[in-house]
Amino acid sequence: MISFLKKDSFSRDACLALLSWVFLIVVFFIIPDPGVHDIIQKVFILGLFALSLNILIGYLGLIAFGHAAFFAAGAYTLGLFLQSDFIKIYNFGSFSIPVAILLSILVSGVLATFIGAICIRLKDIYFSFLTLAFQMVIYSIILALVDITGGDQGLMGGFPKPPFLGIDLSKPFDFYAFTIFISILVILVLRQLIESPFGYGLRMIRDNAERPAALGFNNQNHKLIAFIIAGSIAGLAGSLQALLDVGAYPEWAFWAKSAEPLFMILLGGMNTFLGPLMGALIFEILNDFVTANTKYYGLVLGLVILSFVLGLKQGLLDWMVIKFKESRNKNAQNK
Amino acid sequence: MLKINNLEKSFGGIIATGNVTLELQKQTINAVIGPNGAGKTTLFNLITGKLKPDTGKVFIENKEITNLDETETTQMGIARAFQITNIFPNLTVYESIKLAILSKHNGLNNMWTRFKDHNVNYEADKIMKLAGLTKSKNIISSELSHGDQKLLDIALALCLKPKLLLLDEPTAGMGPEERWKMIDRIKELWKKTKITILFIEHDMDIVFGIAQKIYVLQQGAILAEGRPKDIKKDQKVIKAYLGGGKK
Repeated sequence: MISFLKKDSFSRDACLALLSWVFLIVVFFIIPDPGVHDIIQKVFILGLFALSLNILIGYLGLIAFGHAAFFAAGAYTLGLFLQSDFIKIYNFGSFSIPVAILLSILVSGVLATFIGAICIRLKDIYFSFLTLAFQMVIYSIILALVDITGGDQGLMGGFPKPPFLGIDLSKPFDFYAFTIFISILVILVLRQLIESPFGYGLRMIRDNAERPAALGFNNQNHKLIAFIIAGSIAGLAGSLQALLDVGAYPEWAFWAKSAEPLFMILLGGMNTFLGPLMGALIFEILNDFVTANTKYYGLVLGLVILSFVLGLKQGLLDWMVIKFKESRNKNAQNK
Repeated sequence: MLKINNLEKSFGGIIATGNVTLELQKQTINAVIGPNGAGKTTLFNLITGKLKPDTGKVFIENKEITNLDETETTQMGIARAFQITNIFPNLTVYESIKLAILSKHNGLNNMWTRFKDHNVNYEADKIMKLAGLTKSKNIISSELSHGDQKLLDIALALCLKPKLLLLDEPTAGMGPEERWKMIDRIKELWKKTKITILFIEHDMDIVFGIAQKIYVLQQGAILAEGRPKDIKKDQKVIKAYLGGGKK
């Protein structure tokens, strides 16, 4: 079993991905509590958001602080598209939702191309602040275009969710299975990306941004591609969130929304691939239990993050992986 | 092989490189010496395209490379190792070398295969052997000794299969014993590959022991050039550089 797990191949990852999906479907029926289903869905949506940011933070070493811009772009694109007459005119009918999701990915990807092309020229804190500045521009635009976006009210009035391929997203089970399937699929693709030569190129830039140029390597292209991919996936997460909430809100483009995936990365760990997903789980569970019992959510979240940062000095999954490796080495030595 | 004509570079009125002209023969080891601030590293930066010269021209094998950038000169066959060790601290020796080899073959844009499945073992083993890093294959670079980190830096440059290898103080920060080990390693490496080498060095004994031709830089200009035994006797050099330290 362990030798099977050790094999670091796409096929192993694909098997694990499929198994996790089947497992979560089973969970849906074993635990018939809609609250639990809701948490699991949200964990995957936010997990995608955090994982996409971790491409930049964990693997490229760039602390992007405006990632919510792409999340919001994805959400508003999906909402506006589904509300528009466009669908009727061009008769997308039952394919409205897949088209809307693809469009969200595309729009946030294009946005990331423009923002990224400018931001990646900078390093460190300058990079972080410029991404933040662009995000606040997007936020202001959303607030200003009241006629289109609904301003600070958010995108109201809902939108239709026509069934496609027998999937009716207005049914809880369909939505649950669909969201998790898409998320796991994208996580699988991300995993491939991170383990590919391209992904190791990112680690190379993270470790030493100067040296690759002297090895004949084009840093800037590599960074930009990573930025676009991260933005597109954040857009996808945003579109799924919009589908869940049947709306989109300007807070999703506010800077506090960019801090959320950062918290998840801190909580879960940035050096282990699934760390941010684990972080999303902790974040959601905290959110659910704490807000049910007290109004001091921010205080509790702050204390938990502090205890992780000062106590473990790393994210939970990073810590678990290191402990696991240590005990395995000890066992190997004892033998 | 490398030809530099009347190269000049100044930073806000201070001349870092002043009218340098030199020509390296193929398959030779050449040294640049000179006191701090003589413009040695600047000269390297001008050759590799990290800096652009104010005037003058640089050729490699009769092709002009004066205005190419760092990435482009690499493709023309120039590789360098750095004065301050310049490696990838969180990657293992093998991963670093593999990345450099893949980079050379433009393999790092590939997203659809696994990095681990790429087999560059033959090339990587050869380079690790040349640099004496075979035993350290799976060690994280930041945990290597200072000397091994320097060797890894050189190994990364070798992955590019350069025609010209620039070594910026390969023995910087080393004890006497380690220095000689490093020099022996470089000598051996040169014997095996016959790459043209240009290196910067402070230690006179080392320079005279290994270099076939020496260039003495002072305030950006070439004060003297020639074989080690001629440089030793050169009055200008003795006065400007050797005189102070040796009695």
